[in-house]
Amino acid sequence: MPATALPELVCPAGSLPALKAAVDHGADAVYLGFKNATNARNFAGLNFTDAQIKTGIDYAKQRGKSVLIAINTYAQAGRVAEWHRAIDAAADAGADAVILADLGLLDYATRVHPTLHRHLSVQGSATNFEAVNLAHDYFGIRRAVLPRVLTLPQVEYVIKNTPVEIEVFGFGSLCVMAEGRCILSSYATGESPNTHGVCSPASHVQWIPQGDTMSTRLNGILIDHFAADEPAGYPTLCKGRFEVNDATYYALEEPTSLNALAVLPELLRIGVRAIKVEGRQRSPAYTAEVTKTLRAALDAAADPRYSVKPAWQQALNKVSEGHQQTLGAYSRPWR
Amino acid sequence: MFKLPALVQKALQKLPEQPPAFILSQTLNWVKQPLWPEEDFSWLEGRTVRLEISDLGCGLSYSFANGRFIPSQAPADVCFAASLADYWILARRQEDPDTLFFQRRLRISGDTELGLQLKNLMDATDFSPLFARLPAPLRQRLAL
Repeated sequence: MPATALPELVCPAGSLPALKAAVDHGADAVYLGFKNATNARNFAGLNFTDAQIKTGIDYAKQRGKSVLIAINTYAQAGRVAEWHRAIDAAADAGADAVILADLGLLDYATRVHPTLHRHLSVQGSATNFEAVNLAHDYFGIRRAVLPRVLTLPQVEYVIKNTPVEIEVFGFGSLCVMAEGRCILSSYATGESPNTHGVCSPASHVQWIPQGDTMSTRLNGILIDHFAADEPAGYPTLCKGRFEVNDATYYALEEPTSLNALAVLPELLRIGVRAIKVEGRQRSPAYTAEVTKTLRAALDAAADPRYSVKPAWQQALNKVSEGHQQTLGAYSRPWR
Repeated sequence: MFKLPALVQKALQKLPEQPPAFILSQTLNWVKQPLWPEEDFSWLEGRTVRLEISDLGCGLSYSFANGRFIPSQAPADVCFAASLADYWILARRQEDPDTLFFQRRLRISGDTELGLQLKNLMDATDFSPLFARLPAPLRQRLAL
């Protein structure tokens, strides 16, 4: 059979050791963010200083890998200069691309740094080829990251109708997937991913142990209560359990991880150009484990005898959020 | 996974916390410069962090004042609790703290933001400058 070009494996880094772990374990590209609200993982102590980004880019480039910088929140009124500075810093540092969602920032990057590649972030919420092509026409985007709401045939349809490279998610925690549009947490905290780069700011989160059980509160609002040894999830409103009509359950969404190992050959066949791993908030141990597993699976995926190895599944199960893994929207036979 | 004999556990619970907390603080002061040359720890100033070893029923607390780590007996601003074996797993980066948290093996209470800041500081730490100072046989034994 003809050799299929493998999609790029794009892995997350919240710190320099995580970047090194990704590069050392087989990532083709690493994505990261600055220590501020210009990216959607604006957590205390996470992310990179300018100096760390330079060190990271050197480390990756010396090994033939690329670094993408996520500046994927929406510039806030009166503070647009912060977001412009982030784009300038990414260009100065020699990033291979910036991952943007805000149209104003795409325009700024196109005008001021025309040679810096631009990727349309998943936060840009482009779910059809018209939207992707519009961003291509106006801002010359090289790649678009598709939101996790499309079936495989829908992803294929987008790819067939655009000159833009298409990146999709391969593994990681899922959310309610109103990417670029979610303001749910604003209800509890006044902050949301698109405005502050974080949906459950740690300053609003309280874990309250009561013997062996534990309650989670977000700005005082009880969002979950875990029995002894019951698996916990991230403290987000969308993954809380609420009382609705006398029943208490995951009223919005149960904590779940996306795992696309089973459909990797399909993703290759339809021409996906990059596969992304979620989790910049996780530690270097997570990045190493997931990168290693996805690398092995991707390298095997072009073989017609491909099947998901139990060892890969185990490795990913261990680091997953929630009780279950899913193919998400990729497989939706009931359409 | 290793477990301490019950007799040792009982003895540990009875020992005062101050000496180990003092040793921990001194160690942190010793590694502060090589590990975190750019960190001023202003966010830790006057705050108390408690590490509880849940299977041993003991723990220790430290704080940061005037540029130095010190043992503390003040009520904790943030408290971590895990088994000794799980602390060792975390220290060696064999597991991701979020994984242990999802599995309820690592508990965080109190000021979540301070806890997250500490977790992320540990994740961002490059330990190689420190390990380079250890004698080679010890390095090999720890498989670092």
